[in-house]
Amino acid sequence: MKHSEIKSKTDEEIVEIVRNYNKEQFVYLVRRYEDKLIRYAQYLIGDYDKANDAVQQAFIKAYINLNGFDLKKKFSSWIYRIVHNEAINLIGKDKKTVIINPDIDFDSGENTEEDYLKGELVAHTHECLKKMALIYREPISLYYLENKSYKEIGDILRLPIGTVSVRINRAKVILKKICEKQIK
Amino acid sequence: MRKTNKINIENKIMDKILSGEIKMKPKWYFVLGSILSFIGLTGSIVAAIFFTNLTLFLIRKRGPGTGRIITMLDAFPIWIPIIAVGFFVLGIWLLKKYDFSYRKNFLIIILTLFTAIFISAQIINLLGLNDIWSQRGPMRRLYPRDHTYKYQPYPRTIYGR
Repeated sequence: MKHSEIKSKTDEEIVEIVRNYNKEQFVYLVRRYEDKLIRYAQYLIGDYDKANDAVQQAFIKAYINLNGFDLKKKFSSWIYRIVHNEAINLIGKDKKTVIINPDIDFDSGENTEEDYLKGELVAHTHECLKKMALIYREPISLYYLENKSYKEIGDILRLPIGTVSVRINRAKVILKKICEKQIK
Repeated sequence: MRKTNKINIENKIMDKILSGEIKMKPKWYFVLGSILSFIGLTGSIVAAIFFTNLTLFLIRKRGPGTGRIITMLDAFPIWIPIIAVGFFVLGIWLLKKYDFSYRKNFLIIILTLFTAIFISAQIINLLGLNDIWSQRGPMRRLYPRDHTYKYQPYPRTIYGR
């Protein structure tokens, strides 16, 4: 299959190809998600090398369990969930050494309320996130920094949409307070 | 992101896949897993209902009445409610694996399951099925030997047996 052909395929279609015809095509899934997943793992773990390990391990687990993936679901939510689990395992193992990396880059937005928060997050990410509890850090980083919908966040974090909404709203308040303090 | 430090995980992963170091688990593994987990869930709920029913049945026959609790606890086969709780916990654990479980409030799922088990157990107890099960059939072995009771609508004291 040509490179351009496979590029136009959805994740789920590639999964089907990998499962049934050509395992080498798994590389396209790795390429699509590698950077995003490392960035997400980095928000959670705070260490680039460990985030890298978590993502590598997650891809290996995803490949091993690829036949267990339900093609009706979104591959992105599934792989984020695996990375999330790997990251949480690493955090659990290494709680004391968690630091947020200051070298993360983000996109900036326009001057709306949402984008104000995003802007604040961009400018003071490491400091703001460092002070947030993990239960708030997870959904807010997925929502603002990974542009995931509430439903996708629910799928990744295994939470009802209502809980996701509540946590994001609380996280916004906490984030605002933390960022305001940072600015002062 | 620090591009300079970026480790090429793509090559590492693909090397492992192409060299056969890591292999996909076959489809039957997941099909079997789903079937076993469904059987386990159904079985644990049925078992939880049965042992809850047995607990209710024994409580009904033995008391508890005021002043008799310690005597009742002495003679009560405590392993029966423990097994009921064990199967309930196993059922909850298996239920957690299903997709719908995290979309709902899990506390409500637990409470609903608990209520359903309790009501089902109570219905079985009131229908008098324990009389049949305690006297014949493969279930007989699960009833404590000295408790082959006849169904009675009112509790009987342990002294009145």
